[in-house]
Amino acid sequence: MTQQFDIELYGKRRVLYTVIAFLTLLYTGRLYQLQLIYSDEYGRKSEENSIRTITKEPVRGTIYDRSGMLVVDNRPAFTVTVTPFEFDKNTVPYLSGLLQLDPEFIRERLHKGEAYSRFAPIKIKRDIDFKMLSALEENRDRLPGVDYQVESKRFYTTHAYAAHILGYTKEVSEAQIKSLGDEYAPGDVVGASGLEAQYESTLRGQKGAEFSMVNVRGQVIGRVENGRNDIPAVEGNNLVLTMDFGLQAFAESLLTDRRGAIVAIDPRDGGILAMVSKPDYDLSLFSGVTPPELWRALNRDEAAPLFNRATLTRYPPGSTFKMMLAIAAVESGTITPGWRVNCGGALRVGNRVFKDLHVHGSVDLVTALQKSCNVYFYQLMLKVGLDTWSKYGDELGFGRLTGIDIYEENPGLLPTAAYLDRRYGRGGWTRGFLPNLGIGQGEIGVTPLQMTVYAALLANGGEYHQPHIVHAIITKSPRTIDTLSFQSRPLGIAPATWAVIREGMRRVVEEPGGTGSMARVSGFESAGKTGTAQNPHGPDHSWYVGFAPFDHPRIAIAVLVENAGFGGTAAAPIAGMCVERYLYGRLIRQEFPTPLKPLHAALHERETEEPR
Amino acid sequence: MIIRTIRERFDAWTTLITIALVVIGIFAVYSATFDARASDTFHKQVMFAIIGTVVMAAVIFIPFRILQLVSLPAYALSILMLVSVLLLGKTVSGSTSWFTLGALRLQPSEFTKITTVLALAAYLSRSDVSLRNVRHLMIASGIVVLPVALIMMQPDTGTAIIYLGMFIPVLYWGGASSFTLVSIIAPVVVAVAALLGTTPFLIAVLATGALLYLTKEHRIVAVLVFSLTVLIGISVQFMYDGLKHYQQKRIATFLDPNADPLGAGYNILQSKVAIGSGGVFGKGYLQGTQTQLNFIPEQWTDFIFCVPSEEFGFLGAATVLALFAVLLWRGVALGATVKNRYGSFVAVGITAVLGTHIFINIGMALGMLPVIGVPLPFLSYGGSSLVAALTMVGLLLNLYANRKEY
Repeated sequence: MTQQFDIELYGKRRVLYTVIAFLTLLYTGRLYQLQLIYSDEYGRKSEENSIRTITKEPVRGTIYDRSGMLVVDNRPAFTVTVTPFEFDKNTVPYLSGLLQLDPEFIRERLHKGEAYSRFAPIKIKRDIDFKMLSALEENRDRLPGVDYQVESKRFYTTHAYAAHILGYTKEVSEAQIKSLGDEYAPGDVVGASGLEAQYESTLRGQKGAEFSMVNVRGQVIGRVENGRNDIPAVEGNNLVLTMDFGLQAFAESLLTDRRGAIVAIDPRDGGILAMVSKPDYDLSLFSGVTPPELWRALNRDEAAPLFNRATLTRYPPGSTFKMMLAIAAVESGTITPGWRVNCGGALRVGNRVFKDLHVHGSVDLVTALQKSCNVYFYQLMLKVGLDTWSKYGDELGFGRLTGIDIYEENPGLLPTAAYLDRRYGRGGWTRGFLPNLGIGQGEIGVTPLQMTVYAALLANGGEYHQPHIVHAIITKSPRTIDTLSFQSRPLGIAPATWAVIREGMRRVVEEPGGTGSMARVSGFESAGKTGTAQNPHGPDHSWYVGFAPFDHPRIAIAVLVENAGFGGTAAAPIAGMCVERYLYGRLIRQEFPTPLKPLHAALHERETEEPR
Repeated sequence: MIIRTIRERFDAWTTLITIALVVIGIFAVYSATFDARASDTFHKQVMFAIIGTVVMAAVIFIPFRILQLVSLPAYALSILMLVSVLLLGKTVSGSTSWFTLGALRLQPSEFTKITTVLALAAYLSRSDVSLRNVRHLMIASGIVVLPVALIMMQPDTGTAIIYLGMFIPVLYWGGASSFTLVSIIAPVVVAVAALLGTTPFLIAVLATGALLYLTKEHRIVAVLVFSLTVLIGISVQFMYDGLKHYQQKRIATFLDPNADPLGAGYNILQSKVAIGSGGVFGKGYLQGTQTQLNFIPEQWTDFIFCVPSEEFGFLGAATVLALFAVLLWRGVALGATVKNRYGSFVAVGITAVLGTHIFINIGMALGMLPVIGVPLPFLSYGGSSLVAALTMVGLLLNLYANRKEY
């Protein structure tokens, strides 16, 4: 019996061995699966569990003008946050009363934020005032999970708005988070227009992180590795602009209550000195929380204050375009500057009559420019032809983006034969189109910025410099000043050609009988050209392009005043004053032209109150 | 001469493995309770380890014939204790399984495991008892079912399952027919399959049918057992509804731990995260974030396996698993070597008790089994459990020393 039992047991032993071996191998396999194959995934989960990352927001870079004056700074702002994990949802009504927010808004924010992370604080109200902050502080015990962060908001130090140039920041949208990737989280700000948008990556800096250990209840137990792995936030880099904010403020004041644009550029390097688009708005309204009513009002305003007229509009340039035709004519050899036309006050082409304001008699090119004789340029356009005209127009930068570094820009419209064919069908347009184009009217659109670049070319005799606003970037660590380089090249148009046209422009301002005498500035010679662009929707737009001093130009300018009539009376004096303000650092004139008299008082006030 | 005698009678492997596991357990408990919140847990565990070692050493020297004689009285005594626990016991986390004896709190069900094995061995080793005899089989089953019924009333499902895990190998060892084994295992398998879904249920039923057919038992009896099995499978769904909510949840989360990651599936998920994040070499002792930050509730008891797995990685976890496997292997080998029939049953029974604990506990930590409250022998915090486990090893060592005696 016992013996048989023993033999049986040896067989059974093997079965039990097999069971033990099988289960051990099975479990080892499972360990292998968890710890070797899925180890990374579980490792991540365990980190998510136990390490809470507190994001440190970088301080956005500041902005200086060409003289080193701080124009965009940061100020602390308190942002209320709610951490869903700790927050008691029953306190929503109380919190909404305290913060004067819609309870539904808080719930919605919580809901969205929770989907992202239960432990990450959700920003529910930016830039609260001190009263609200102290009310919050007093009631902290009743509001678990409610906290505030110190963030920075933009602070504008000057009298100038420069709204379209500097641009504003806003909270990043969900769509942007998807496209921009990891760098952005809900509630972050991102540059939305102007320099803020164009130089977003430069200004933004890098987020830092602090790692804290939390236990299962989400309570912070301590720093991970005593903070050795923490990543400090990297401050954004600063921008140094080519702009002169004294001139900017002054130029803005000149267009008070008008619609229009002023762009001034340094013709020696393409740096923008001032860029005004009116009406505009106060950027500080956007620095904290933008009230939705304000946003709606700005969007709905029919004067379109958010719209940058300096770079986005397409106005016909009027007579200011005559230099372009003149360059094309002389440089292509179609005429010599001595070529004359007898102006009888009008020109008949087919059955159409093109008018002039005066009877100029026999004029050559320089006189035709000085007196802005339309008949001369009608004839010249017919002689030069569309193709040559378009070719030089393109070379001077029309119908193309200038590449300026402020994010929004319109290429305008420079008609070519191909374009007109497309538009009207082959043979659908005739030579009758041409005379109007010759004086910058009709189917042609330019931006004030393009006109300024054009003025700069006329000023420096054909050295093209890409217009730009940022001169240099100051990096924080290591501290370096990187001067940005922009495209520069000669256009390859003969100096003699420029000389003739520049002489015409000089006479416009400086000689009796010139249309731009109101742009004159005492002490040096200026050159320019007025323009009056016909506008089917109302009174003519007033244009002026010019530069000064004539011999060694330091400023080129284009002024557009919507619906203001003659270029010579509305735009030219504004340009003159800007030039004067820039070259002298102040206004030296005692007499003001009549249309601007009412502004004198306002101007005086602004000038005496020197910007910090 | 003396040295040879010692070497001959002393199972060094089993002893060393046991000591290694106890030491690992102490370190693991220390790590799991490191944040000082429960620091006296560690001191207590050291004390229990000392008490357990003394008991283990004492058990080695009890002549096993005396053990055989006291088996039934000891069993009767432990049953009595179970009854008194039900009447006077202390309720800890919803189950009345504690017994306060002076300053010590005892869990009689831990010791009943041992006495049940001893009683079963004593009964089955009688030369007039055969497991082919239905009456004897019923008596043997009765020895097991009585404590199970009492423990289920506490209620403590985990411990109850241990008895089943012990009973089947012992029956097999004692020569029960394959029909008997199939009849006992099949209802359990079918019941679990029923919880998993219709397809597993049908497969289990078909497999049962096939196995019963292969045992060539009397047709009518086979059909009876088969019908009963199917009936159990079907009624499981109804029983499920009758289960306590937490038990239902445990089953449901086992089936899909991700369904409710912060609720009932939390333990399993966090346990897997702890083990998985350990990687190959682990995070280092006292560096396991899951362990140190208390992400696993009651980790020092039922989820202690996570500690070596997280802090020492695959190497640590596999080492612990290997130590257990060798221990069980030696237990089975002992069962086949011991000349005495009673001793053979005790060895296999104890090995089965330990094995069931080990595989259920680790299987649960690995997310392969539902959360069943079963401690991991030697490692889990708990005086009764540790002392009981060491007593069992003492019995194995005793049998090893006397393995050549009839």
